[in-house]
Amino acid sequence: MTAMMLDNDRVVDFVTHLQENKPVYAPHAKGRSSFVFDQVEKPDDVVLDYPRTLHSIKKFFLPPQDDLLDFNLVENSFTEPELKPFDAVFLGVHSYDLHAVMRLDYVYSQGNPERNYLARRQGAVFVGVSFTPDKHHFSGSVGIGTNDTTGFDVFLHIVDDGYAVEALTEAGTDLLQGFDMPVYEGALPASAHFEQHIYVPQGKLLDVFDHGYHSVVWSDEAAHCTGCGTCNLICPTCSCFNVEDHVDVTVTHGTRTRSWDSCMLRGFGEVAGGEVFRENLADRQRHRVYRKFKYISDETGEPWCVGCGRCTMNCTAGISIVNIVNRLVNEYDKSRAAV
Amino acid sequence: MTEHKLMDPAGARDLYLPEMAEIVAVKDLTDQEKLYEIVLPEGRELGHKPGQFVAVSMFGAGEAPFSVSSSPTRLGSFELGVRKVGMLTEMMHRLVPGEKVGIRGPFGNGFDMEALRGKDLLIIAGGIGLVPMRSLINYAIDRRDDFGRLIICYGSHSDAELLFNDERKLWDQDPRIEHHVTVDVGSDEWTGNTGVITTLIPRLELDLSRTVACVCGPPVMYRYVQLALRSKGLPEKEIFMSLERRMKCGVGKCGHCQINNTFVCTEGPVYNGLELKSLQEAL
Repeated sequence: MTAMMLDNDRVVDFVTHLQENKPVYAPHAKGRSSFVFDQVEKPDDVVLDYPRTLHSIKKFFLPPQDDLLDFNLVENSFTEPELKPFDAVFLGVHSYDLHAVMRLDYVYSQGNPERNYLARRQGAVFVGVSFTPDKHHFSGSVGIGTNDTTGFDVFLHIVDDGYAVEALTEAGTDLLQGFDMPVYEGALPASAHFEQHIYVPQGKLLDVFDHGYHSVVWSDEAAHCTGCGTCNLICPTCSCFNVEDHVDVTVTHGTRTRSWDSCMLRGFGEVAGGEVFRENLADRQRHRVYRKFKYISDETGEPWCVGCGRCTMNCTAGISIVNIVNRLVNEYDKSRAAV
Repeated sequence: MTEHKLMDPAGARDLYLPEMAEIVAVKDLTDQEKLYEIVLPEGRELGHKPGQFVAVSMFGAGEAPFSVSSSPTRLGSFELGVRKVGMLTEMMHRLVPGEKVGIRGPFGNGFDMEALRGKDLLIIAGGIGLVPMRSLINYAIDRRDDFGRLIICYGSHSDAELLFNDERKLWDQDPRIEHHVTVDVGSDEWTGNTGVITTLIPRLELDLSRTVACVCGPPVMYRYVQLALRSKGLPEKEIFMSLERRMKCGVGKCGHCQINNTFVCTEGPVYNGLELKSLQEAL
């Protein structure tokens, strides 16, 4: 497929073109140094060269607060809120964040397929953009390059003076229809270099985690952990939730709402008798990391961590998931050498 | 890296919508526990297996999992035994026949009744653990010839807290049921065994080649019961334990009931001793 050239000075026109048929969601600058994915109102607010957004695009398909049903306490009855597809163009998505969405697609399609998520996931069109890794990105270590186009309809490769635009699906070709661009003459750039690495070949990661369950790493790392749960809340593949009923002030109506939850919080593993099955932070830290590299990975063969760096960057105690994994790799290598 | 297929939502079910089911009878078990008989819309059968559970909705209080206490061999309705411990169960305890609750389920694996066929069943129930085990017991009573011996060991904190006294009197009278009871602390009137449930196990005479133990009780009980059964010589894979975790969804999504790599709500709550060995977080 021939790539087309989108010059920097035509990006605003490009965004305007995308807005013709569907609402467009894209990264915007927020505060001093943050970026958020939001609906585009003014095309020149869109930022395509950004390190990462605070939250991934998960929030659109699995909202932080999601009403499962509306109930009527007077009649003891309920209705289901309408489930609408999130029919929009997502512009400027990084490869690791779409990989995260594809992992959520798996979670909500396998076993008991969930209509709430699947209905919302219909209709979205993804326009990716490559990125320049900062000191926290390590998606390259989990097989996701900066120019990985898997799952995208259109992909924008950062090149001199603009972007090389690739249409990858029929929906992508349709999206570019009517926006003329010259052919891009150069070769598409390779994946950019990552500063941050997990030092293990992908296939060997599962072995490392087979070995690391009783490692001292967990209690070492937990010594700094405050159990705040931030790492879960900003993770693009975390999908655990809580469900609670909220009654309105008239005490006649209410909603049953699910909200993002965190396995790092003590109450998460509590049972009816008050016992907590992952009582200390080392147990919870291990559970979180095993959910990213072991449990579901045994089933699917791929890490559930996409290397975005959010949990490390936002950790209030400075705990690095890369450091945890590399310490386990180290221990594993040492134990192998000793044999 | 594989691209995961996104399923068509037309093929997905509404996982979180309860059915409004009618309470047709309420019985006091003790001053803390009540037994509810419930009928689904149009008298539809729940279609559960012993050991499975349902999620009960009380709008405003939320939802919680309860093991089904009745046997699927008894048609037309199902029963839940509910101890008053929190807001949802407080609200449930105020329900009277004719009122409705939301029901989702049945969920979980339940006991594999085909695998248990022909075996001597050793049922070990601690406290409120008798509520789910009653489903299995009545199943075996109703299909008595499908099973070998039916041995029931039931332990309770005190004689005042013993459950299903009328039914258990019938078990005492039935020559094909071996029914042993102990209480941790007996009242002055108590003439039966005293001591924790594991004290009943050493005196049992078991045919190890055909005995399967099914265990349900408070978390602390499992480790000791397992030890007692192992020292009788019963292999780990013949000890089935029904675990309890808090659950929010019942369908393998919310993550609350996850023990290592298993979801209690879909792959449990019944695990054998061998399976539990690899689950460090289980007991």
